[in-house]
Amino acid sequence: MKRAIVVGLLALVGVLALAAEPCLVVGMIIGGTKDDAGYNQSQYEALMTLKEKMPCVEILFAENVPEGEAEAVLESMIAQGAKLLFPAGFGYMFPALNVAKRHPDVIFMHPGGYLLADNFGTYFSNVQFAYYLLGVAAGLMTKTNKIGFIGGMPIAFVLGNCNAFHLGARAVNPNVTTYFVVTGAWVDRAKEVAATQALLQQGCDVIGSHLDSPIAVAQTVEAAGAFFVGYPSLAVQKFCPNAWITGLGLTWGDFFVEIAQQVINGTWKPAHIRRGLEAGFITLGEFGPRVPEEVKKIVLEYKDKLISGELQPFAGPIRDQEGNVRIAEGEVWGPMDMGKFDWLAEGIVGSPK
Amino acid sequence: MSWFLSWLSGAILYAAPILYPTLGEVVEQRTGMVNLGLEGLMLLGASISFAVSFITKNPWLGILAAIGTGLVANLVYAWLVVHRNASQLAAGLALMFFGIGMSALVGKPYVGQMAAYLPKYPLLGSQSLIFRYDLLVFLAFFLAPVVWFFLFRTRWGLKLRAVGESPAIAYAAGVSPGLVRYLAAAFAGICAALGGAHLSIGITGTWSEGMTAGRGFIAIALVIFSRWNPLRAIVGALVFGGAVVLQLQLQAQGIGISAFLMDMIPYVLTVLVLLVWGRGVRHVAPASLGRVYFGTE
Repeated sequence: MKRAIVVGLLALVGVLALAAEPCLVVGMIIGGTKDDAGYNQSQYEALMTLKEKMPCVEILFAENVPEGEAEAVLESMIAQGAKLLFPAGFGYMFPALNVAKRHPDVIFMHPGGYLLADNFGTYFSNVQFAYYLLGVAAGLMTKTNKIGFIGGMPIAFVLGNCNAFHLGARAVNPNVTTYFVVTGAWVDRAKEVAATQALLQQGCDVIGSHLDSPIAVAQTVEAAGAFFVGYPSLAVQKFCPNAWITGLGLTWGDFFVEIAQQVINGTWKPAHIRRGLEAGFITLGEFGPRVPEEVKKIVLEYKDKLISGELQPFAGPIRDQEGNVRIAEGEVWGPMDMGKFDWLAEGIVGSPK
Repeated sequence: MSWFLSWLSGAILYAAPILYPTLGEVVEQRTGMVNLGLEGLMLLGASISFAVSFITKNPWLGILAAIGTGLVANLVYAWLVVHRNASQLAAGLALMFFGIGMSALVGKPYVGQMAAYLPKYPLLGSQSLIFRYDLLVFLAFFLAPVVWFFLFRTRWGLKLRAVGESPAIAYAAGVSPGLVRYLAAAFAGICAALGGAHLSIGITGTWSEGMTAGRGFIAIALVIFSRWNPLRAIVGALVFGGAVVLQLQLQAQGIGISAFLMDMIPYVLTVLVLLVWGRGVRHVAPASLGRVYFGTE
């Protein structure tokens, strides 16, 4: 009797396994936790969108993977049958590339990197262009004409976001000064609070940031009664319901579906894929309760102009803090130029080094 | 002047989470125990206080939970060191790694959550952004002179320091070195966990893995910096807290110094202090520090 039950169960498991044969096994590793209301959550949510829209896909997922252990985790995912991998952190670029060389039949998609291989492509959102909108909103909302920006590290993409924030604000309010502060770490919550307090004491009444997760910043701004613009996940809004103006979320779910489909069909090609608001790679969030209708209208107008291409945030002439022309008259910086920022625009207070 | 006040306000706030573990470690080292596990204890305090505060919506219960956690975890360390005669360095490192892992496990469901904060009491009126502190800040600066008085002005303190100088002689004088070390470890565990709790439910209102960012090790350096004196520990903690705030404020004022250069200030200061006071340190450090006491036959 017992044996019959066991055999029956085994047969059932076998049938289920056959029925559940996945159309594709997709793996992702992230460097932080999936609920950080920040960068890692954005990646995870895109993966979950893929799972939802393509139920035949099997998902492998690992969080808190240090860069030094990335190769081992990716290898184990491949051993479990993964054919599409998202090493979803900038620092995974070289480890993932090493694994890619050993497994030419597995496709890798890396966020924000600059290296390509036959089975290794990259994707990212044109964040800097969208960040201009947060600047427009900040420029309209500030009463003190001082706005603050907190960066984790003074790298090109952070400087680019700060420049976009400032240029957007200046476009609607020529008196704005932007104060730029670097914490020196992507995650150090206590220091992020200290940086926010330093900016608030300086008189800044709108704060933007480029950190792994701005939760602590958002809560500090909320407690001080000032304004906040969110990035890189819209999930941060719940931490600052009153301070919230609007924000940007990295939204790659539909793109992941597109890539998975290409891998299944065998049509995938390696490329640097950079898209923006127009393709849904980044989404402007809803407005907070303290934002007047007039401000919403202007921000949405700028959004339309950005999407249509009528507005180019990085069109010259743009000068740096010393007054040197960095983007000449008639010159326009596009998505692939965003890694070139090693300067801050005229009117920003702070050091780009 | 207003600039100085806002710097001082920040320095005091960020000194508190370092002052707690430093005070605990001063007492512990005065009994001859080096505890390298502070970072782990702080993380445990941070995550468990946050979790309890999240579940019960009561930050005071979070504080109680941190106290209990720090107490139990550090008594395990004391048991290893006192009863099992384990190497203090190894036991401390084990405690550190245990704390890092355990706090991540406990805190996992609470990443990206909001918990009840400790209430803030504005000293300069409700409009002022500066000098708004929670109770743990006041307690930290109150605790330091109390610990100093206990160590240097009471018989109990004398016995405690005697154990740190020579457990055998203390034993001969009728003091139980094991008991004293257990009590000191209990106090140190509570202190370190409170420092961690202050970071999660006092200052930031969030939990993230490894959020102490090395403050447990800064505290160990501060014990040497303060030459095992709780009052000098206040100075040390203010210097460290002040350096963090100063570098961010200088940036916000557009003083174009690299953030990374500024981040080195605390460590450069420690090296300088060790250079200046270095010769004295040997005479101040408890004589039995780090040694295993096997008991007296």
